[in-house]
Amino acid sequence: MIGLTSLAQAAYPEPMAGATLAHYLAVSAIMFVLGLIGFLTRRNLIIMFLCTELMFQAAGIALVAFGRYHLNFHGQTFVVFILTVAAAEAAMALALIVLLFRRKESLDARSWEDLKG
Amino acid sequence: MSGRLAFLYPEIALFVATCVVMVLGLSRTLKARKASAWVAGLGLVAAGVLAMASTPRMGQASCPISGFVYHDGLTPAMGQVVLAEMVPYVKVMIAGIGLLLLLTMAGTVDREDEARIAAGQAVFDPLRSNRAEFYAFVLFSLTGLMLTASADDLIWLFLALELTSLPTYIMVAISTARNRSREAAVKYFFLGALGAAIFLYGFALMYGGTGHTNLNAIAQHFREHGVSTLSMAGVLLAVFGLCFKIAAVPMHFYTPDVYEGAAPQVSGFLAFVPKTAGFVALLLIVGAVGWEYAGHSAGVTSLFAGDGMEPVKHAAGGRQLPELLRLTLWVIAALTMTVGNVLALLQSSVKRVLAYSSIAHSGYMLVGLIAGPVGSTFTTNGVSAILFYLAAYGVMNTGAFAVLAALERGRDAEGHVGEAESFDDLRGLCASRPMLGWVLVVCSLSLLGLPPLLGFFGKLPLFSVGIAAGEIPLVIVLGLNSAIAAYYYLRLAFTPLLDAKDEGSAAIQAAPFKGRAVAAALSAAGVLVLSLAGGWLMTKAAHAGAYYPSAPVKAESAPISDEPAPLPNDVHE
Repeated sequence: MIGLTSLAQAAYPEPMAGATLAHYLAVSAIMFVLGLIGFLTRRNLIIMFLCTELMFQAAGIALVAFGRYHLNFHGQTFVVFILTVAAAEAAMALALIVLLFRRKESLDARSWEDLKG
Repeated sequence: MSGRLAFLYPEIALFVATCVVMVLGLSRTLKARKASAWVAGLGLVAAGVLAMASTPRMGQASCPISGFVYHDGLTPAMGQVVLAEMVPYVKVMIAGIGLLLLLTMAGTVDREDEARIAAGQAVFDPLRSNRAEFYAFVLFSLTGLMLTASADDLIWLFLALELTSLPTYIMVAISTARNRSREAAVKYFFLGALGAAIFLYGFALMYGGTGHTNLNAIAQHFREHGVSTLSMAGVLLAVFGLCFKIAAVPMHFYTPDVYEGAAPQVSGFLAFVPKTAGFVALLLIVGAVGWEYAGHSAGVTSLFAGDGMEPVKHAAGGRQLPELLRLTLWVIAALTMTVGNVLALLQSSVKRVLAYSSIAHSGYMLVGLIAGPVGSTFTTNGVSAILFYLAAYGVMNTGAFAVLAALERGRDAEGHVGEAESFDDLRGLCASRPMLGWVLVVCSLSLLGLPPLLGFFGKLPLFSVGIAAGEIPLVIVLGLNSAIAAYYYLRLAFTPLLDAKDEGSAAIQAAPFKGRAVAAALSAAGVLVLSLAGGWLMTKAAHAGAYYPSAPVKAESAPISDEPAPLPNDVHE
């Protein structure tokens, strides 16, 4: 249904000549994969949280690009809600991280390994 | 608009109760704070009654598969129509099991402070009490779960899923005063955020592939234009992300650690609430894709169905999911059952056994999702099988965790109250505390699926829909896994009947909270009553699983067109 190479809408003024949907999707996919790799390899709690944020915002970029491609506002509406939820998650993540830091004075996820079985 | 609101009365009632509980959390007296549990219970009762009494009927249950009939003025503007009948069923189930879970929550937070106040050693400090906030989190999570069931839009679904899970992270963190609860909360939160990001990306790709976020419009688009590669990638990512919620295989690592670290009553909450949210969301998304695709004969080519740029089209007489999606779910289901059951065999902690078995139960339910609505009766409709199993699992699993919550050990060196954790702790329970002991026996045997009990009636349709859908290898895997599960569930069921060891269970005493024991008794009573009157619940579930694949979408609610809508002139620069 969607040819990924010729995705710029005809007869629609282009802010960046030559930038097609494929470019935006590539950026978004790269961000998502970077976030995923970072989450799986880093062990600093704050960095790990930032990696999940990166993945959230990657979805946001994809949504805005698709919204532009389909010429409706669902994608942008979605992004507004994603930003809100991401803010709520950030508040909670920082609260949890502070709670943990006060117990062990460390941000390293490896210092928390009491639960095993 | 008012029609739409009528579907949301249960959520509105629950949300109002949540707000009242939050405000009670600001009061200056302990008495008002203690009222929060009652307000929460009232809110759940009101939501359940509203879901039962005032949810408008959608569609006609007698005509699944053959086509959708508008009934009582139903339009897609009132909610998703593909699986419309499941909404009231799921909400009543949530309210009922939510009440049981609420009873188990008695005394979870502020226990030390309140004991000191009762003993006259301290005065009530409004700033230090978290009781009302804890109940508010419980209610927020249940509200999110109900909203998940009402969702008809990807945006709504995302927000409802987040509302379900965000409060649970904090509930885990504050459920005990020990470090391992904090550790569990952080593990749960980080993997939860990862899962949310993955299904969010899936939703974004589904929107990209169809141009709609409305689930009715997406279903219609798939029906008319087939499932494009982009949409299929989105659906698969959404499934993987939701695997976190249901604790299925690629995202199941957190389950045993989190269930072990959290207080047992909160673990019981986690075993029902996020799992139900995940299954309802999976049903909504897979239901939008539909089960009417042609099956491929076995072979390597079937792996690549939908891999080219050709959309996967509907087929006349097709009775299964698109091959790629079916194969993915098949592998997830088989691995989830096997991993859950085999690892459960190796555990010595009861909570970890229940955690791994919770993984396995998700695998069982995925069989129903793969088979889908083959026919319209209870034994041939996979959706009904899932809905019945969710209710059955909710009741019997809450019973098992409530027994653990109702028991405790003496204080350890740091002054924390210990939990009944190992199998040795449960020995002799039927002799020392017969009620709790027999509840555990009944619930374990039911979780095992022993014939006269509720769990058997839950598993039976999973087998029969699997056979009806022709998924014979998967049914064999399901049977083998049920046999493996028998080992550890029988161990759990017979441990309370054994003689107590001297030091093991002597230290075990009843927790000083009546609510937990009452919840355990009610769960066991529920298991027995529903085993005897299972036909009633089966009828309800069969009705709730009705599937309307050819739901027409009215133009005013969601314009359907493959071409991008023409842009109004004034939007141009």
